[in-house]
Amino acid sequence: MSFLLRRLSFYFTAFLIAISFNFLLPRMMPGDPVEAMFAAAQGKMDPAQMDAVREMYGFMDGSLFEQYISYIQSVFTLDLGPSVLMFPIDVTTVVGMSLPWTMFLALGSLIVALIIGVSIGTYASYRREGFFGQFVPPFLAFLSNFPYIVTALLLFYFFGLQLELLPLAYTYDPAIDPGFTLEFIGSVLKHAILPMGSMILVGIATWVFNMRNAMINVLGEDYVTMAEAKGLSSYRVMYRYAGRNAILPVATAIAMAIGFSFAGSIMTEVVFNYQGLGNILLKGIMARDYPLIQAILLILVSAVLTANFIADLLYVWLDPRISK
Amino acid sequence: MNNSITSDANAPVPHHESEFRQKCRAAWMKTKAFFHGNPPAIIGGFLMTVILLGALFAPVLSTHNPDKRVARPHEAPSADHILGSTRNGRDVFSQVLQGARKTLSVALFAGIIATVIAVSVGVTSGYFGGKIDEWMNFATNVFLVFPQLPLLIVLAAFLGQVSSIVIAVLLGVTSWPWGARVIRSQTLAIRSKEFIISAEVMGESKVRIILVEILPNLISIVFGGFLGTVIYAMGAEAALGFLGLGDATEVSWGSMLYWAQVSSSLYTGAWWEMLVPAIALALTGGALALINMSIDQVSNPKLKTGPHLKLWKKLNKEANKRRGLV
Repeated sequence: MSFLLRRLSFYFTAFLIAISFNFLLPRMMPGDPVEAMFAAAQGKMDPAQMDAVREMYGFMDGSLFEQYISYIQSVFTLDLGPSVLMFPIDVTTVVGMSLPWTMFLALGSLIVALIIGVSIGTYASYRREGFFGQFVPPFLAFLSNFPYIVTALLLFYFFGLQLELLPLAYTYDPAIDPGFTLEFIGSVLKHAILPMGSMILVGIATWVFNMRNAMINVLGEDYVTMAEAKGLSSYRVMYRYAGRNAILPVATAIAMAIGFSFAGSIMTEVVFNYQGLGNILLKGIMARDYPLIQAILLILVSAVLTANFIADLLYVWLDPRISK
Repeated sequence: MNNSITSDANAPVPHHESEFRQKCRAAWMKTKAFFHGNPPAIIGGFLMTVILLGALFAPVLSTHNPDKRVARPHEAPSADHILGSTRNGRDVFSQVLQGARKTLSVALFAGIIATVIAVSVGVTSGYFGGKIDEWMNFATNVFLVFPQLPLLIVLAAFLGQVSSIVIAVLLGVTSWPWGARVIRSQTLAIRSKEFIISAEVMGESKVRIILVEILPNLISIVFGGFLGTVIYAMGAEAALGFLGLGDATEVSWGSMLYWAQVSSSLYTGAWWEMLVPAIALALTGGALALINMSIDQVSNPKLKTGPHLKLWKKLNKEANKRRGLV
């Protein structure tokens, strides 16, 4: 268990660093930070409200350290004040509404890309002298390294605008009431195909190459030759013998991919007008709603850290040696 | 002393020239071997050459001034404007050439900064170990776990519209951890090899060991990491530009995407304004990835496929025969 405890304390430190970054940001801006941060709120909030919000962000009399402590308190009590853009609504409420959609996109596409990529990588390593092994990995390397924004724009244009196959905005059809109905779930999936598809395209090559390279190392081992000599089917050798051992180094790459996936989700949401954090982030940037921008960054960091911890748990389950 | 140097330089000895030629030939043979029977490397190398030449000779190849209104808004591609015109009447072909310079130089600059940091951190941390390693590894992991792009977006939002130099520096100082991690683990693997230990026993200085003994063995990994960072930095620059966080008055592929989005060119049927910079970005990213993949195969012969693999197997068999193993 000491492994998981070590990881937890690491994530906690990382989160504290993110908070400090957020605390320092407005203080790095030219001019008076309070004026700049709430410039867009002039006329919306009355002076008493303004003072309350200032205190939450630590803009009060006292040393920098006292301000810092006050800010940390507000963060841990989830007390981040109202959004400037959507005035009386709280920043945390706005962020809470869109976070599930971003998690859905980021983690959903990561898992699908992982499954498809690992399967392709396994097969490509097994058939690396044939057409599949020669053609598919370079082809995917080429496709996957288009910038996120470009893949999203190309899919948006060809499948959405030209062929009119799939919807181009929203997370589900606004005419349908949200609920556990087939119609609603179908609509959600249909609206997710294009944004998720573009993220899967970008993410897939990492897994193909990680898996293929790990497999090529494993395929040289004696127990694989032994399994082949016993006359086991190539499917069994490929997935049950070699694949299971090759997956370990691939699993360590998941941690790094989580951050990438969230970043990709932010960009993709903007292109497809998907109602997640990325979309709100852009609106917040355009309206100069700094409290909202900061809250989004904090929630993104905590989502990524949590997902990383889950990946750690998964890794312990895959390889019990690590927890000792 | 001084005399002998000048006389040496004034009268080059023919022997030196032939040595130089030998080196040239060896380099040429290596290049040929890299591309031979390796379609991904050929395609990637060809695309990248075309793109780099286009960026280099942009002022010569441009048909119009990229910063001036030279056509009516959203003119379709024609003989006069090969790739059409933007909403503001700029020539898209000239802009995409001009934009290549800005985008590629931002990406290269960011890549160089990131690689320098990654090599310093990775090698120091891997070679010295102990407390230094612990702290540097911690910093690397913290940077790795943060979502980089959202962090950059927020930073850029607070700084206001930032120039391309600032973007390049920001990208450079945030994207080193991936490289540092790989370089560190490779340094760890090399550190315990005999040739390092013998260098230490011989009393070579630590600086010399790092620069002369370790670094040359890391070249392919460092270069691979550099190309990876360039691909990432190009995508990030395009993303920041698209969101309007870059300097929209500069012509880059990112700012071209931004203006195409602002004029909703895809909806009005003027696809060329959006798709031309998008495809330019796509081809550059893809070409760099193909080159990167081929470099991977050189540094790790196990990963070779197709004709390369057959050649390697043949050579391996011959070598085994020479050693009397078969």
